[in-house]
Amino acid sequence: MTAGMITWTTAAPAVGAAFVASTVEVVEAFTIVLAVATLRGWRPALSGAAAALAALAIVVAALGPALDLVPLQVLQVVIGVLLLLFGLGWLRKAVLRAAGLMALHDESAIFEREKAAIGGEVAGGRSKDWIAGLAAFKAVLLEGLEVVFIVLAVGAARGLTLPAAAGALAAFVAVMVAGLAIHKPLSKVPENTLKFAVGVMLSSFGVFWTAEGLGTPCPGGDLALFGLAGVFLLAALALVGLVRPRPVEASA
Amino acid sequence: MRMLMEVLAELWSMFAGDRRLTLLALCVVVLTGLIALLARSSFAPAVLLVGAILVLADAVFAAAHKARGR
Repeated sequence: MTAGMITWTTAAPAVGAAFVASTVEVVEAFTIVLAVATLRGWRPALSGAAAALAALAIVVAALGPALDLVPLQVLQVVIGVLLLLFGLGWLRKAVLRAAGLMALHDESAIFEREKAAIGGEVAGGRSKDWIAGLAAFKAVLLEGLEVVFIVLAVGAARGLTLPAAAGALAAFVAVMVAGLAIHKPLSKVPENTLKFAVGVMLSSFGVFWTAEGLGTPCPGGDLALFGLAGVFLLAALALVGLVRPRPVEASA
Repeated sequence: MRMLMEVLAELWSMFAGDRRLTLLALCVVVLTGLIALLARSSFAPAVLLVGAILVLADAVFAAAHKARGR
């Protein structure tokens, strides 16, 4: 499919999912890079992050052409199943957090914890900038791998990798601009709500691609994605209500 | 080497962090595949969707039970 033939109904879910999911991942990576920069300065922080981005570029350069060799139906099933597993995992955690059964993701707390951990390692005596840079490298690589997977997963099965990558890039730029402007962990980003939305979107894509790959596509074509997302959202909200501790139970 | 192992462990946990959820979800996919293969039925996607929601509900209830037991 050429860029000119991509319609908004086709591209919007992939771009939206890539943007929201990448926002969450980039915020998490930014928190650790900022912790490194606060302790040891921007040089090791940015060197580690840049090395990780280079490693990610190599992964994408290797994976992109390899995916073209896989038959489309096999690709759809594999990506669909992986998305379903990934999405249901996120949604499970999001439901537990929304119900108050799991601690909310708190960037400020993570920032302090990472600072203490890196500070402890740095005090251990080895080359201080090297250890700090390695922490930034690991954080960007791990979160970046998730972004790469999400972009390829929501985009590759229908030639939407570039629009999905543009969504991820927009998230990267938005988080960087906001983060560098306020120079603090982005704890105001509604990460838990975003994770809930990402879980819903990835699970919907998972069902959509798996069904398509198995030769029984969802009725309604691409519009089915919105229906699937609505069903997952309602089911997840119902689960939050069902498992949320009652006032008596919570005070006991 | 340690970092590579950490990266691989992280990748594994992305898809199979909750083993029960992973196994049940794979069972639902296999069941859907059989329905699609044998019946070529258009209700296979509905089986997949309902199955996925039941797997999610099972994982949430199990985790909630565990959290309350602490």
